[in-house]
Amino acid sequence: MDEAFEKRLPKPSDLKAMTEASLKAAFAGESQAAEKYLVFAEQAEDEGFPNVAKLFRAISFAETRHARNHLRTMKGIHATADNLRVACEGESFEIDEMYPAYQEIAKVQGNPQAGRSVRYALKAEMDHKWMYAQSRETVLAGKDIEDKRVSVCLICGHTVIGDLPDKCPVCAAAKEYYRTF
Amino acid sequence: MEHPFLNTPPLPEDGGAMTAENLKTALAGESQASQKYLAFADVADNEGYPNVARLFRAVAYAESTHARNHLSVLNGIGSTADNLKAAWGGETFEIDEMYPAYAAVAKMQGNESAQTSICYALKAEQDHQAIYDSTLRGVEGKKDLDATPVFVCPVCGHTELGRAPDDCPRCGTNAAYFKKF
Repeated sequence: MDEAFEKRLPKPSDLKAMTEASLKAAFAGESQAAEKYLVFAEQAEDEGFPNVAKLFRAISFAETRHARNHLRTMKGIHATADNLRVACEGESFEIDEMYPAYQEIAKVQGNPQAGRSVRYALKAEMDHKWMYAQSRETVLAGKDIEDKRVSVCLICGHTVIGDLPDKCPVCAAAKEYYRTF
Repeated sequence: MEHPFLNTPPLPEDGGAMTAENLKTALAGESQASQKYLAFADVADNEGYPNVARLFRAVAYAESTHARNHLSVLNGIGSTADNLKAAWGGETFEIDEMYPAYAAVAKMQGNESAQTSICYALKAEQDHQAIYDSTLRGVEGKKDLDATPVFVCPVCGHTELGRAPDDCPRCGTNAAYFKKF
């Protein structure tokens, strides 16, 4: 299957700065469109338009493929050990700088909804960073991580490996609100 | 299932501009993280790390919940008719301005792989624009889309309602690879 795909996409070559800037912006656009359409699909279902919901999910998948193509062209997809390092660095930036700064600003500007949305994300990123760091050590030793289920709170994104808590420790949602992978 | 973040009041109009900007940046960041992790999961599967792949997919889902929360606080989730209009507007911007500009830059700078990635996206966005347009007309008359399958090319994102073509008319990928929704 991979071979069939490779033939359709030329090998990435070195990028000049403006082409790279274009692809970065396009990657950001496609990624956000994919997420928005998934949310719009839920809304369509709630309103009794199941086929519109299906359409949103299909087009979200198409945008995911565009995001993937742009990312590949920017040489943003590496071997797993490197992907885990990149993932860890991204989480670190959000934990150390981005979300704490946004939290302060939401507080100063008196916006509790924004503060909550930011806090939920910040808490989950801390779990993710740790999980990625641990996984990287294992992968560097040439081993896969343990075969354990990973569950995610669909309200706040809290992520847990193994047994589920009775309720989410971050947002107090009941166990039933977790999606298990 | 109730989503505490859906239909929360909009941001306060006074003094919330920076908070809104921050949430927009965070929405972009979470959306991109989610797409990266999905790409990294496929690599992990190919390299024989199925449990690392599962972790990447679970964390991608967690980032999606953060993106949804930020979008909700930004008041970016409307009725399905409004969502279709917003989706149509996004596609139209990409077709009329963004991708033609990026395609010109990639061509000028002689990057074949970037040109392909951009061209695939541009063509598919034209499908999406037309489909959203006709779907919106139905929804405005309280009519759901017909219960036909939606097919998406996993290489270029070409989207068709009804039946899959024999080969993708854009990139030549065999129809057997199309994803059906």
